[in-house]
Amino acid sequence: MNAALLQPAFADPVLDAQRSFRAALKALAGPGVMHTLQAAQRPPALAGLDAASHALCLALLDIDTPLWLSAAFDTPAIRANLAFHCGCPIVTERQHARFALLDQSQLDDLGGFDLGNDRYPDQSCTLLIQLPSLGGGPSLSWHGPGIESENRVALPLTDGFWREREAHNDFPRGLDMFFLAGNDLLGLPRSTRVAHNVQERA
Amino acid sequence: MKPATDPAITTRQRWIGVLARAAGDELNRHESALRDAEYQLIRAPEIGMTLVRGRMGGTGAPFNVGEMTVTRCVVRLADGRTGYSYLAGRDKPRAELAALADAHLQGPQQTHWLNTLIEPLAQAQARRRAEQDAATAASKVEFFTLVRGED
Repeated sequence: MNAALLQPAFADPVLDAQRSFRAALKALAGPGVMHTLQAAQRPPALAGLDAASHALCLALLDIDTPLWLSAAFDTPAIRANLAFHCGCPIVTERQHARFALLDQSQLDDLGGFDLGNDRYPDQSCTLLIQLPSLGGGPSLSWHGPGIESENRVALPLTDGFWREREAHNDFPRGLDMFFLAGNDLLGLPRSTRVAHNVQERA
Repeated sequence: MKPATDPAITTRQRWIGVLARAAGDELNRHESALRDAEYQLIRAPEIGMTLVRGRMGGTGAPFNVGEMTVTRCVVRLADGRTGYSYLAGRDKPRAELAALADAHLQGPQQTHWLNTLIEPLAQAQARRRAEQDAATAASKVEFFTLVRGED
């Protein structure tokens, strides 16, 4: 481990991790609603990782959660800091990962991640997806648990991503996702139905 | 576990051990010298528990003695050197000073720090140890058995 790459994490490790965990919980409980991390609870930026992604990594990862890194995040600085502050093992095989850190270029192929099993669907891999922004894409209508009628969400994602998500969703097995940009996060659990094809949009 | 044979590692192990055993205010006397550098807390001093294991003799099976409180801290100086400390107890300022000392000791002024900080601490510890040993030795009881002369 290269000690020169290390940098501080949360200012208050216990409370800031709890606040970030709370934000993640709310994001998954109310899919499609954007949550912003307060300035005081943000960790300092880490090379390539936005504040929200960094905060979720620090709050969610530990020695029991193998992490898969996409090529964009597989840098010495990120590896050294996650190993130091979280102690999480970093795996090269997608199926061994409990969490995965992805960037936009990886979203056309979600194959290989653990979807959990029928007895323990909670053992699936959770995807942390960092995007340039959480708006600006086609506005889609989200329905399902945690949404009263519908949420309009305009994530900058391609149809290829939504097809992949559909292909890897076999309820109760499936993938839960967090979309992260800057200081904002937004949750998309496997139970949310997204009207993404032409007929449903009409 | 194989014992470390790299001399750089063994000398660092020695000074980290000396810093960990430094009593109460011994490090405070060097506080102004230790803090006289630009530094950053990578891991602010934090208190936690660690499990102590032991074994009876060289061949006994390992067992858990119990848990103890430790305080740990990691600092980085402006030039990138990092210092680590793990101390018994709950003294956060002392953990920060010990981490700073570890960082300084890895730098170009290692001899200076060894002479002004580590050696006096090591001598004080050796003296305390000798006093303790002497007090214990005074209570030593010798058991004699008569030779039975069987052969």
